[in-house]
Amino acid sequence: MTWLPFLIIIPLFGAFSMPIVSLIGGKAKEAWATIVSFATLIVGIDVFREVWNGGTIVYTLGAKNPFGKATFPIRIVWEVDKFGAIMVLIVTFVSFLAIIYSIEYMKHDTGLEKFYTLILILELGMLGIAITGDIFNFYVFLEIMSIASYALVAFRNDTWEGIEAGIKYMFVGSLASSFILLGITLLYGQYGTLTMGYLAVKMSENPTIVAKIALALFLGGLLFKSGASPVHMWLADAHPAAPSSISAMLSGLVIKIGGIYAMARVVFSIFSPAVNLTTVGWIIILFACITLIVGNAMAVVQEDMKRLLAYSSVGQIGYILLGLGIGMVAYGTKIGEVALAGAIYHTVNHAIMKALLFLVAGAVIHELGTRNLNELSGLAKTMPKTSFAFLVGAAAIVGMPPLNGFASKWLIYESSALFNPIIGAIAIIGTAFCTAAYVRVLFTFFGRPSEKVMNAKDPGIAMLLPMFILVLAIVVMGFFPWQISDKFMVPAARALWDVMGYIASLMGGG
Amino acid sequence: MNTVYALLGVIGLYVYVSIISLLFSGIDRKLVARMQRRVGPPILQPFYDFLKLISKETIIPNTANFMFKAAPVLMLATTIALLAYTPMGFAPLFATKGDIIVFIYLLTLADFFLVIGVMSSGSPYGRIGASREVAMLVSREPAMMLGVFAIMWGISKLGVQKPFSLSSLYEHNIWELGPMAWVAGAILVYVFMAWLASEIETGFFNIPEAEEEIAEGTLVEYSGRYLAIIKLAESIKEFIAASLVVAVLFPWQVPIPGVVGYIVNLLLHTAKVFIVLLIAKTVFRAVTGRLKISQAINILWTRVFAASVIGSLILAMGVII
Repeated sequence: MTWLPFLIIIPLFGAFSMPIVSLIGGKAKEAWATIVSFATLIVGIDVFREVWNGGTIVYTLGAKNPFGKATFPIRIVWEVDKFGAIMVLIVTFVSFLAIIYSIEYMKHDTGLEKFYTLILILELGMLGIAITGDIFNFYVFLEIMSIASYALVAFRNDTWEGIEAGIKYMFVGSLASSFILLGITLLYGQYGTLTMGYLAVKMSENPTIVAKIALALFLGGLLFKSGASPVHMWLADAHPAAPSSISAMLSGLVIKIGGIYAMARVVFSIFSPAVNLTTVGWIIILFACITLIVGNAMAVVQEDMKRLLAYSSVGQIGYILLGLGIGMVAYGTKIGEVALAGAIYHTVNHAIMKALLFLVAGAVIHELGTRNLNELSGLAKTMPKTSFAFLVGAAAIVGMPPLNGFASKWLIYESSALFNPIIGAIAIIGTAFCTAAYVRVLFTFFGRPSEKVMNAKDPGIAMLLPMFILVLAIVVMGFFPWQISDKFMVPAARALWDVMGYIASLMGGG
Repeated sequence: MNTVYALLGVIGLYVYVSIISLLFSGIDRKLVARMQRRVGPPILQPFYDFLKLISKETIIPNTANFMFKAAPVLMLATTIALLAYTPMGFAPLFATKGDIIVFIYLLTLADFFLVIGVMSSGSPYGRIGASREVAMLVSREPAMMLGVFAIMWGISKLGVQKPFSLSSLYEHNIWELGPMAWVAGAILVYVFMAWLASEIETGFFNIPEAEEEIAEGTLVEYSGRYLAIIKLAESIKEFIAASLVVAVLFPWQVPIPGVVGYIVNLLLHTAKVFIVLLIAKTVFRAVTGRLKISQAINILWTRVFAASVIGSLILAMGVII
């Protein structure tokens, strides 16, 4: 008996019952969303524990095993390996905190029953991507996630920027999704199956040009979703326009799940037996280097706080892509393993610290009503707790040793320097820009108080609590960097490489 | 149990270095006075200053935020932590593979905390001092990092237990690497002396705290206890920076076993630190004035960093050939 289906059932039930629950009025919808997301967090923790103790979970929808009377999988399967379990845990954790935060943050907005429905659907879509083992099911969850995020970006539809960013995100996002759908169509036409593990088997028997075209379409679509550099423009508009709890989820989770996780899953679990990983890896490394430099350099010149954080997210995605790319090129070596473990570790760390930074930005906007950094001078005088949270988040994202960002970045630096010193140098240059950007914000926060900030005060407990839980997570994870890396991240990286294991648990288990 | 001994060691070193470094600044002031035909203060003057500052009233500006009070403490804490990684004539107490990065990080972090504290005062003079401090910080460290990494890389080629640890400096040194390394060593002596002078901000580089220009710049708003803490931390940091120079360039020790060996080596190390500081601080500050910030940055990049690059390349060639 696995708890895995409840990962989808609970948020789905929560989202669909939200319109009815909100009829009660009062605070019922907030309470309901909190309960539902908390229950999902509990299930997420249990699924994580289950995968870690018992190995990959394979779950078939509708029957005992995916085969029926055939010799190949005919049903939708969910397959959660170690990497998937890590993503499940981080998604449920950050979503729960974002929902608690929204209670106070969103109280001036209207139409909140729709907001909480959408936020639960967003969580549902992300969880679905993390657990699915079926490529079309993956597309469906990707669209659930994407459409919920289009709607949430444009949630404040009385502001011009919300609508503008929403339209931009939706137009290009739909195009990217259709690339992925086209890739799936091609694969289905060529190989006649939609199960990821079985697709890998069929493809390794008969690698065709169609598979390569499909891979190119997948990579194009998923690089868009992750906000890699030539197609990062939606991100810089969507994050500032969205409500801050949504920015935290978009930047912390959506670009990781819909971009990085999906890319790793598609490349390793479907295509790695059939295509040349070195080529794919170098393509990703190329985009990673551009992303690193562009994202971090653009962050330095921003004057809008959330825009700065958005560009910084682009820059950090560059590090993760770099680790992923090296993990592909150096497949089967120690360097590749370290790089891939670093990429996974940084995915988790960045989700935590960027969620924290966006929640801080949200608190500032909530209290002061401005995002312009030039007006925020001396914030630490009147909002000390918020500023302290920002200090911790900024130090972690730059990679200061006692905090969690250090170990993950170190793994990526170390592997990239051993892999190719030029790439290592590019990573260091990216960090230099990143440091400059955050030091600039810190200097603003700790400067002379401007008149505008003199009347500000720290937000209430519902907003501070999620921030300080995240601060605590950053600090505690910072104390055990190598233990976490050896115990969780390296096994997850090995599990991702182990395509045979992935296929075997699909075909043998069930 | 080892951790407990190491912690006791750090506390012991902290007490020792606090006293010695304040004592050196007393000697320094006396010597500079003598160079200018003055009598100068008594050698124990820094101790009196410290005690007086501790007992004075501490004034907090009303534009200051929480980091104004936290930064001096954090700065001192960082310098104390740094003592655990500083070579003191024997291998650092917490020496591990790659601890040079921790050393450089903590050394920079101490300055960074000072800058944050000064920024937090809300004083525009403090702001100017802080931005100068950051500009200097960014300009001076690359030269030192390149030099240290080059030397440690060269030493690691000779076979050491912990590569890129400050403890490896006591196993082999740069002067064992042959004639080309001697040339490189001579260049790096210049680089490290210039770095030390800019790290402790004396002579040419006494810019962030420039009294006459921006009224003590960085320290303008600090008074009482916090000023005492900062002065103490800066003085310890001075000793630590000089210790790095001594350990990298002149690490010769006497091989005496046991506790006596540690004490003798510590005293020998202290004597070497005094000589290095005498040149880089006392003489340098007596014979030169201050530069403009733009000139200082220019010098650090074009003279010091360039020399570091050349020295490291010569060293690398010497090691490879």
